[in-house]
Order: sequence, then C-alpha cells, then structure tokens
Amino acid sequence: MSTARAATRWISADLRARKGQAALTVLAVAGILAALLTGATLLEEGTNPWRSLFGQTNGAHIWIHTTERPDVWRLRELDGVATSAGPYRSAPVTLVQDGKRPQAALRGLPAQLPEVARPQVQEGRWLSSEQPDGAVVERSFARASGLRLGAPLTLNTVGGSRQVLYVRGIADSAEQGFYPEWTPGLIWVLPSTLDRIEPKHELSEWVTGLRLADADATQVVSQRVLVELRQVERVYTWREVRAAMELDNRLLGTLLALFGVVGLVAAALALANAAGGRVLGQLRDLATLKSLGFTRGQVALLLVAEHGALGLLGIGIGLAAGWVLPVVLLGAGAAAPLPVLAIGAGAALVVLAAVGLPAWRGGRTPPIPAAPAAPPRGHLSRLARLALLVRLPPALVLGTRDAFTRRVPAFLTAFGLAVPMMMITIGLGVWATLDGFLKNPEQVGQSAALIVKTGKLTQGQAEELIAREPGVERSYPGSTVNALAPGEARSVQVRAIGGSREPYPYPVAEGRGYSQPGEGVAGQGLLDLLGVKIGDRVRLTVGGSPLIVRIVGRVVEPDLDGQVLSVGLDTLEAKDSVPPGYHALVLKPGADPGEVRLRLLSASQEGLDVQRVVNPAERLGVLRPVIAALIAVLALIGLANLLTAIGLGLRDHASDLAVLKAMGLTPRQVTATLVTATGLLVVAGVLTGTAVGAATVTGLIDLQGHTSGVGAGIGRPPAAATLVVTVLAAVSAALAVALIPARRAARAHVTTARLTHGVPSGRS
Amino acid sequence: MLKAHNLVKIYAASGVPVHAVRGLDLEIEAGEFVAIMGPSGSGKSTLIHMLGGLDPRTSGEIWLDGKRVDTLSESGWALLRRKKVGFVFQGFNLVANMTVADNVELPALLAGTSPREARERREQLLDKLSLSDRAEASPGQLSGGEQQRVALARALANRPALLLADEPTGNLDSRNTRDVLRLLGEVHRGGQTIVMVTHDARVAALADRVVSLLDGEIVDDGRIPRRKIAGAGEVIDLR
Repeated sequence: MSTARAATRWISADLRARKGQAALTVLAVAGILAALLTGATLLEEGTNPWRSLFGQTNGAHIWIHTTERPDVWRLRELDGVATSAGPYRSAPVTLVQDGKRPQAALRGLPAQLPEVARPQVQEGRWLSSEQPDGAVVERSFARASGLRLGAPLTLNTVGGSRQVLYVRGIADSAEQGFYPEWTPGLIWVLPSTLDRIEPKHELSEWVTGLRLADADATQVVSQRVLVELRQVERVYTWREVRAAMELDNRLLGTLLALFGVVGLVAAALALANAAGGRVLGQLRDLATLKSLGFTRGQVALLLVAEHGALGLLGIGIGLAAGWVLPVVLLGAGAAAPLPVLAIGAGAALVVLAAVGLPAWRGGRTPPIPAAPAAPPRGHLSRLARLALLVRLPPALVLGTRDAFTRRVPAFLTAFGLAVPMMMITIGLGVWATLDGFLKNPEQVGQSAALIVKTGKLTQGQAEELIAREPGVERSYPGSTVNALAPGEARSVQVRAIGGSREPYPYPVAEGRGYSQPGEGVAGQGLLDLLGVKIGDRVRLTVGGSPLIVRIVGRVVEPDLDGQVLSVGLDTLEAKDSVPPGYHALVLKPGADPGEVRLRLLSASQEGLDVQRVVNPAERLGVLRPVIAALIAVLALIGLANLLTAIGLGLRDHASDLAVLKAMGLTPRQVTATLVTATGLLVVAGVLTGTAVGAATVTGLIDLQGHTSGVGAGIGRPPAAATLVVTVLAAVSAALAVALIPARRAARAHVTTARLTHGVPSGRS
Repeated sequence: MLKAHNLVKIYAASGVPVHAVRGLDLEIEAGEFVAIMGPSGSGKSTLIHMLGGLDPRTSGEIWLDGKRVDTLSESGWALLRRKKVGFVFQGFNLVANMTVADNVELPALLAGTSPREARERREQLLDKLSLSDRAEASPGQLSGGEQQRVALARALANRPALLLADEPTGNLDSRNTRDVLRLLGEVHRGGQTIVMVTHDARVAALADRVVSLLDGEIVDDGRIPRRKIAGAGEVIDLR
C-alpha cells in the first residue's frame, strides 16, 4: 500500500513529463483495438443480420421456385419437413423509378400473415383487402429504390402493361438476400391484386418455402424435393441467403482483422520500444528509487503499471469504439460480449508481455545511481574509416556509426517502422485493386457496361437500335438460366453469352476461354462448389433437360460468390437461348455509359430497358474510408516508434555533442549527425516494410479473392509512383520530426557541468 | 552501530579481477560522524556503497544495529534502507520529473507514512533548509547547492539512523559546500550517525573521525579533537 502511494507519485510525474508520447501510445493502441474488434464483430456470425431475421420471421430453410403449382402436401410429408409457406404465385415486373428500372418479383401473399416465413413489418402495415392497390416492399429494396410509405409504385409487367400501386408497408424478410446483391427485389401484394396486374399464369412462377425440423437436414431434404417435383426452376437454401447477407461484412471484417492482428503486433512493439527507451533513459532515476528503498520487484511492477496502464487505457478506449463503430457506421448488430472480452484479454496479455521485458530489465538496474548508463562504445568500422578517407561529409559518417551503436534498439526501431509501413503498403494495394476494378472493369469480368433488355420492343427493333448507337463497340446476346447441379441441393447460375465462335471477352485467369459449343468457363466459387477442376466435365439440368459442359478455364467472377458457369449461347438449347434474354453492350473506349444509356432510351422512346452494370468496387466503397483510417492509425504507431528512437538517440549521444563541437563540428553538422542517425533507421525500416508489403499484397488479395469465390487474379500492387511517393512522404515526415529535437540539442549550450549532471561520466 | 569485518570487494571487470576493498575492518559508534578519505580508486565509494547495500560484498561481514546485514538479499537491503539508511550522492540524483516536494516525500511514503504526515515532515525539512519557496519547482530549476540540500532533505525524510554521503560536496562551489556542511553538522548534532566519503581535507575536518583508505585498505584511522572544529572552511593540518 505504502509502496503504491510512492509509485503512483512517480508514475504520474513521469507521465506528466511525456504527455505527448503517452497520448500517442494510447491512441495507437485504441485505434488498433477498435479495428480488431470491428473486424471480429463483422466476422462473427452473431452480427450477420440473417440470424435474427430468420428467427423473427420464423423463416423457411428451403425455397423452391417452380413453373407449376406444386402439391404442397406431398412436400410436407417428406422426412424432416416441419411446415411450409406458400406456394405463392410470383410474377416478374419492372419498377419504373427515376429513370432506373430495377427488376422486382411481385409475390401474392394473403392478408393474414403466414406462420412460416412471415414478413416482419417495420413501417406502415401489412396488406389488407380494404386497400387492393396496396403493396409491401422488402426493406433493402425500398431503401435502394428510394421508396417511402405512401409512394406510388409504377410497375411494368412482362406483358407490357403499366400499373400503379402504393407502398403501404415496408417489411424485413429472410427469404432472400439484400437488394441489390440479391435480385430481383421483393414486393408483396394480395393474390387478387397480383391476378389483376398479371393475369397470365404462364408468365409467373410458384414459390414454396419449407421449414425443416433440423437445419442440418437441408441438403438431404432439398435433394428429395428435386426428385419429387418436376419443373423446378430454382432451389436455394438458408445457407445461400446467409452468405448473401454477410458478403460485404466478411470482406471488410477480414481486412480489419488482418490489419488489427498485425497492427496489434506493431503496437505492442511500439509499446515495448517506448517502454524500453524510457527505461534506458531513466536508469539513473530507477537506481535512485532503489537506493531509496524500492525493491527490484517493485521497480519492475511500477514500470509494468506505468507502461501497461497506457496500453490498457488504449485497449479500453479501443473496445468502446469497436463496440460502437460497427453499429453506427455499418448498421451491424453489436458484438457479443464473449469475443469482446476475449479480444480485450488477449490484447491486454500482449501489452503486458510487451512491457514486461523492459520492466524486468529496469528492475535489474543496480541501485548505484552513479553507475554509468552510457551506450556501448562502438568504434569506427573499416567502412566508416574508408568513408572519412574519401571525404564523405563527417556528419554522415558519424551519424551512420551512431545509428547502429545500440544494435537491438536499432533493429527494433527499423522493425517497428517496417511493420506499419508494410501494412500501409497492403492498404494501398487494396485501394489500387479497387481502382483497378473501376478503371478496368473488363479485368473483373465486366467488359460490358450496359445490359439491354428488349422491354416493349421486339428483338429485331432492339438489335437495330443497338447497332445504330455509335458508342457501342460490340453487342453480345445473352441469357441467364438457373441450372441444378448433380448432388448439390441448389441451383447455380449459367450465363450464356456471345457465341462460342465469338466469345464474350472474359478475363481468363487459368486455362482458356470457350471456343466451341459444349465448352464453358467457371468462377472459382463454382469450381469449389462442385469440386471440379479445369478440364472436367459437369452435368447440369436446365429446365429438365441436361446440359453437359467441359470447363476449359477459370475466369474472374465477381457475381454470386463466383458460383457462375459461363458458356456460349449456342451451348444452351434453343428453348433457353432464343430469343436471348438480354444484350450485353461493350462500349467503345471513352464512351460514357450514362450517355449511351440515355441515347438508347430516347431512341427507343423508353421502350428499351437499359441498365448499368454495378461495379463491385462501388459496393466496396466503404473500404476506402476504412483503409484511410487504418493508415492513419499505423502512421501513429510509426510515429510512436520514431519518437522513442529519437529520444534514445539524443540521450545516448548527449555526451558526444560537446566532444563533437570541441572537435570543430558546426551546429549544423551536429544536427546532421543526429538526423542521419535516426534517418538511416527510418530509411531501412520504411524500405523494408514497403518491399515486403508490395511483395505480399497481390498474394493476399488473391487469397481473399479465392476464398470469396471471385478467384485469384484480381490483386493489384500499388503503382510504383504511389509507392515512391509514400516512401518519400514517410521518410521526409520522419526526418522533419527528427530535425526539431536535433536542432535544439545541437544549439543547446553544452557545458561539462551539465554533462556530469545529465549523464554521469563514471564512478568516482 | 555499524560494523564491517574483513570486508572484501573484487570487481571482475573484463575478466581481470580488481581488488577494490581488501579485508577491511571498521567499527562505527552510534552518533559518530566519520569521514572516509583517500585518493581516486582507493575504494572509498565502493566501501560506502557496500555499507548501504547498494553494491554486494564479495566476502566479509557487515553488522548494522547488532544484526548481520551482508547476507540480506537485494530486496532485504531495500526494505532496510527505507527505515534506517539515508543516501546522499555526489550527483544529487533527484528524480528529474518530480517536483522538489515529491522528491522529499517519496521515501516517507515508501516507508508507509500517511500522505499528510509525509507532507508535514517535508514542510519542516524544507523549512529548515530554507527551501520552502522552491517546493513546487522541478530539480532542473535549482542550483547545484539547492539540489544537494533537497537531496539531503530527502535522505533525512525518514529520520534514518545512518546517513551515508558519497562526495556530497564534490560538485559544489565553496559557498554551497559550506552550506551543505553546515547542515550535515546540524544533523550530526541531532544525534545522527553519518558516514561521508570525501577527498577534500577541509570537508573531512568537520567529522569526528577520519578514516583514510589507500588501495582498498585502511591506512589511517584517527579522531579529531572536538574543540578543533571551529568552523568549516578552515584548513586543518592532518598530521
């Protein structure tokens, strides 16, 4: 207790003396912890909105889309099926909204909310027979389309008629993923309203949901469903819905977690450096404390308490920020307490371990305050002597010698700068990859900038209009169908586009593009899903008829987790490919997609349905501020390391300054010597970090691409110019920081008396 | 009070053993003021460090207040120093980040005194050393003499039975030396045992007894008649 009081005095006095450095340490640790916790929160399943939505809506595990009304009783008798939802009739419509034409599915649900897969009304109210023109819109679709309660809903049916409904409610559903990752958007209307809007039953499909007794039986049950039912258009399960909902959160979470873990190591290193440097600088004070009666353990404990407290304060602030940030910024749910505690405890251990070693060393200080604490005396190496002989500036030579006088701190300083620099380079690489997506969409499988559907026009009229448009380089007819994979209880998407002779310009990452009917290319996600490799044949079922495709290559596929098979239109049967469902337009270089779209729309008098292709980088836009914030935190860590190194260097060389001046060095040369000593370590650290970062970034992004299904081949290292600018900025910022204390030290009037006070010259 | 028997210290610097203290016997009575003199390298600093437990002895015995203390661990010595031993160093060794007041209160707090008592004791001490108005200053703002007076106040904060001073005036000019010596004299008159290392004969003249070391051995040990101490600064002929 008594020691605690004395120790508290010492700690508070010391912290007061170095407020800036202490604040920097706290900030850096807090930033890293916030990133780590946010990353973990996003990766943790509990924050996936799917789980709570599925629970709230009493969701169905399997959804089946069929062309004809299925016998729901037969399905309910299947082993493992508990209850069912529907079948509901569903008709495709196009929403006419501010010039955009999002696709939507109009689903007929009764006024009485169903037991299973019950949409959860968030605003307004559910459908009622008193309001036959009322509709309830799924929330993510409403948000993306700017629909509010009471807004008119202008719909174009496939048949070409235009109808107006009104938004009476906005509801959540676990039936499908969020719009626009999952299309079409979902609109619920009463069955009578649906019959009025789309009387033709052949243009609609039937949607049935099955709720299972055991979610793990999904695979088995859905295979039984495929056997039982014919005319199955599409089957998907809760797993796909969950994956769709967590898609972006996972990528962001992975990035944050990677930065967080490496950043924590860097922060721990910075903390250890700071504590070690401080201990070295305070050996005399520590010895004084021991001469006053502090024991070895108490001194060590005091140092752990002081430096650890900074880290722990940072951890506390970081945890609080990491708890709040995901909720505020990303709308994710709050983190579960367990991972928060685990991360906090883990980080606390890392922090304590980082400060433990310097504290232990501080505790071992001999209690004689006059004991010399001067640096180990290096001598001029042969290289240095040679450098002096060839008349290199002496400041440079002496600085070089000083830089490596203390080998371990020199290494720790360089390493402590290299790690943040490596992560900054990786962050820049992610940035460059996003830029690459935007600048060269063809490299991520998006050669076509516009997708045109015939809409009200005939196929011939549409093709003629496209052919007349000067901005169009080429037009590829295409169709997208759902195919059932053997042994897989779900559908995959088959995209038939272009002919086998004139294939769509896919970015083939491995193998080759398709060149004849029966050949196809797949995304990494599909290869992983089906467990096939390039050269294998896959047998799929499209609308009841078999489709056998030899996979000849892997393409970069940003859609649907890469679970897409692309073939030539002539590979599909005529019933699926004629007429083509759309035309993918590759524009001439320099042509603006927005202008071409407007020209096509006006030429067709709004008859054509023209959509811009959504670039994955636009969806991932949230990554950019996150990367910027991470770079800022990493720069803080680098700065903390730098300040430690400068402090230690000045302390070590304070006694040399008088000697250097006595030898005839000008103040400017003394400054140069000090700055060179720090600058060399900075240059070494920054260059190493940048090199390692640039060497690994492409691989890391490709690894992430591989796991997310997009496939390797998307990673871009930062441009050489960016790297050069970053390195120069980092080094010059570091030198500027080093210059101020060096100038002050060089100009200070150093007397021998001060020398004996400041740095003991030896024992009497 | 303090007894050393056959005390030996051998430094093993860079492989070559250096005999700093060679089989030294010394007995100091309570209330005595002993000056230890000798040229550089005679082992006087080593001796005083060993007596205060700052430097472990190689062999021999040290007894303090009838208890053998040379066998104490480093922590044992630390606990002992809190209550019984005060140190004053040539380089003052005030904790640079702490104010004068905090520096003086630190040992009292460490020894378990309540913060209020520690403050009162500090106020008394600084008052006595005419430093009351510098209580909130940082050591860097003080002159050398003032710093050494603060260091002395700190060493006396716990009223230690034994005050060990290693060249307390080594860094001071003659005026400050006089002030510090006057204070040491007052402390001594208060009944405190003082062991002081110095190489300055004028300073040593203040003591009751002067022990001369040469090459780690006592070459002379003599008492100075009390009446001869007329005032500090007077040149005294030491045989």
